[in-house]
Amino acid sequence: MQIVESSKVKEKVYVEKLENGLTVAIIPKKDILKKYAIWGTEYGSIDNNFKIDKTGEEVRVPDGIAHYLEHKLFEQENGKNSLDVLSSLGVDANAYTTNNHTAYLFESTDNFYEALDEFMDYVQSPYFTDENVEKERGIIGQEIMMYDDYPDWKLYMNGVKCMYHNNPINIDVAGTKETIAKIDKEKLYTIYNSFYKPDNQLLVFCGDFDVDSLLVEIKKRLKTNPDKQEVQRIYPDEPEKIVKKYAEAKMDISKPIFLIGYKDKLEPGEMVKKDLAIECICNIIMGKSSDFYQRLYKEGLISTEFTYNYEFAKTYAHILIQNTSSDPKKVADELSKEIEKYKQTGFCEEEFSRIKKKMYGEYVKSYNDVSSIANNYLTDYLREINTFDFLEEVLVLDKDYIEKVLREVFDEEKKVLSVVLPNE
Amino acid sequence: MLVDNFEIKSGIKAHLIQNDIFKTNIACVILTTPLERNTVTANALIPFLLRSGTKNLPSQLEINKKLEEMYGATFDCGIDKMGDNQVLKFYIESINDKFAGDKSEILKETIDFILDIVFNTLIEDGSFKEDILSIEKQNLKQVIEGKIDDKDLYAFENCINSMYGEKGFGLYKYGYLEDVEGITAKSLAESYQKLIDTCKIDIFISGDLKELDVKNILESNENVKKLVERKPNYILNNESTESKQKVDKVQEKNEKLDVAQGKLVIGLDALSKQKDLGCVALVYNAILGDGVNSMLFQNVREKASLAYSAKSKYVKQKGNIFIRCGIEIDNYQKALDIIKEQLDNIRNGNFTDEDIENAKCYLISGIKSIEEEQDSEIVFYIGNEITNVDMSLKKYMEVIESITKEQIVEFAGSLEYNTIYFLSNK
Repeated sequence: MQIVESSKVKEKVYVEKLENGLTVAIIPKKDILKKYAIWGTEYGSIDNNFKIDKTGEEVRVPDGIAHYLEHKLFEQENGKNSLDVLSSLGVDANAYTTNNHTAYLFESTDNFYEALDEFMDYVQSPYFTDENVEKERGIIGQEIMMYDDYPDWKLYMNGVKCMYHNNPINIDVAGTKETIAKIDKEKLYTIYNSFYKPDNQLLVFCGDFDVDSLLVEIKKRLKTNPDKQEVQRIYPDEPEKIVKKYAEAKMDISKPIFLIGYKDKLEPGEMVKKDLAIECICNIIMGKSSDFYQRLYKEGLISTEFTYNYEFAKTYAHILIQNTSSDPKKVADELSKEIEKYKQTGFCEEEFSRIKKKMYGEYVKSYNDVSSIANNYLTDYLREINTFDFLEEVLVLDKDYIEKVLREVFDEEKKVLSVVLPNE
Repeated sequence: MLVDNFEIKSGIKAHLIQNDIFKTNIACVILTTPLERNTVTANALIPFLLRSGTKNLPSQLEINKKLEEMYGATFDCGIDKMGDNQVLKFYIESINDKFAGDKSEILKETIDFILDIVFNTLIEDGSFKEDILSIEKQNLKQVIEGKIDDKDLYAFENCINSMYGEKGFGLYKYGYLEDVEGITAKSLAESYQKLIDTCKIDIFISGDLKELDVKNILESNENVKKLVERKPNYILNNESTESKQKVDKVQEKNEKLDVAQGKLVIGLDALSKQKDLGCVALVYNAILGDGVNSMLFQNVREKASLAYSAKSKYVKQKGNIFIRCGIEIDNYQKALDIIKEQLDNIRNGNFTDEDIENAKCYLISGIKSIEEEQDSEIVFYIGNEITNVDMSLKKYMEVIESITKEQIVEFAGSLEYNTIYFLSNK
């Protein structure tokens, strides 16, 4: 068993790879009532093309299938829905799908082992029928339409489409009404048997657990899948350059919103440091204590803080910067000028150390409860990162490095602007 | 858990919540005042000015630098509506001293910071600063206009407004566009002083408080010392204060915007006066539309595949049940019929003991979680405070457990449709 520890937030993770290939991570928390479990599978919306080893057949699946499968995995052969069963036990159960993974989770205050029975049973026992697959189409159709009414979602998708030519991150996780119409039970089984395999999954627990006895309980509940098959994922080549610089949409909203994206290239092994550097740069240049933010705020060009993050996984990396403004193009131009200015002058020591302190505190805060501790661990594990590295590295970040990242990543040629304007 | 609860002065209460399972401390000041058409807009503007500067930290820039120095403490303010009250919340979350490297006093700084923000604002010669005011008036206008950006909330808010009109609970918590322009630096300073002198004030401190004499810090704080005693002016709303009558005619409201999905909201009045009404209503609501085992989720979503989201909510201060779902616009009548059928089923007792058990189990699990969620705990206690209920979490669970099928059916029978609101496309 491997033990990963953070002296900074005083947490310890016990990681064990079971015989069947499943990796289990346990984060014990003494004297806490809540117990949390999350089971992640490395299969998301970007994995829409793969080759089956045995037959050599290349498969392309309809957009939205990872998310559709997530909805349907709760169906059980006995006619019950595991979400209902878990809820009857008083546990809060849910699931979600992202670009690069799908996760099933629950949080309990009581009945943990009863819930674990149901939880481990349903994730390992798909039961798809023509009827239950058909029934979900209307529900997911409404979920897609709900997102269609979210201006932020439109803004994000358009921004990503400006950046990526071929990478399937440019398709909607839930698909469209047209693509989900092509999903049937056979396709769902193909996905399940190809990707829902122990060596492609991670099970994380956080709560008041004894590590050894929890491992025993987990092993008791393991099942085998005789139909599983080996596959190779196929990702299209993605040029370094962007598709186009600008996209615009209109909706019934009160004021324009905009998203600036910088497409970046992956540097395996460097991602934690790079993520920290980008966060630090954004804080200094456009954070609430920056001259730039203060000036635009006083001019009435912006009224809330910029949100920014570095979104990356194994096949993509980009910076996203978002805000609301009556004049998005002007703000985007002003920001570019500000960035160019910093490329010339570099950062001053005082603001650099203040921002590092701020970032450290924010990382500490992100480990505040059982669910966020486990979720952070899972998300980072799937990006091949030790989640505690952020805390270790943030305080030793050096100024030369972030200045180098500023010059390399904030490249005007790789910048896109997505805008959603109010209808006239 | 709540360890101490005391009045600093008449109308000003402190609530100390000790817990060492979190990595953070929270300090929160809550100002409660009646929602009134002629004060709602000015009151809504006050937090925008308070977050812009204090006599110690006279600009946003200085406030933000200070927060960054405090290991990235998060400061925010917001406005809520609780029954007929407008509730102004000021909130700071910072990391516990044990996670800060150097010799720090973050908890004390956190408490002092929030008191400085709320009670030591930058008013000079009886007036806020003109330049700040003019920016923040624009920002408030933007928030008021921004109501339309979230279509689900927009529909919900407009349904409430149809039911209650332009007073109390029917008002928009951020106020009205036409009233913003007339506010001056001087008039707003007067509004602020009046608010601070008359409103109900609650101060919450939550986190690992063992090392510090928080009571003394609060009582000896200069900004707190300045505050006057008051008989707090706020509206007590709870199940016993609301007397409702059946409306003559159910209102049907339709509105059109550029939306992909229709948003249906149904507002119902609960006329019941039975014992433990609040808890009965919560169990009823869990059976009807709160959680995956509820009738709305099972029938509107799972069986009929009409919606992704179909749920209900009980508003205890006003005795209302609100049903909300997002549907295909053409399915309006179909969805409405299924929803009405669920309401009739509960009214006629067509539900099982298992339904009741599921509902109770769901609610109790939620109550047990409260003490492990720093912000839920504050929300719970402020809810008690404003409804004048003194119920411990343990007692709360006991009452939920005791609710019977007869009580639920009685409550269901007392529900009357008030308004059916539908937002659809042009």
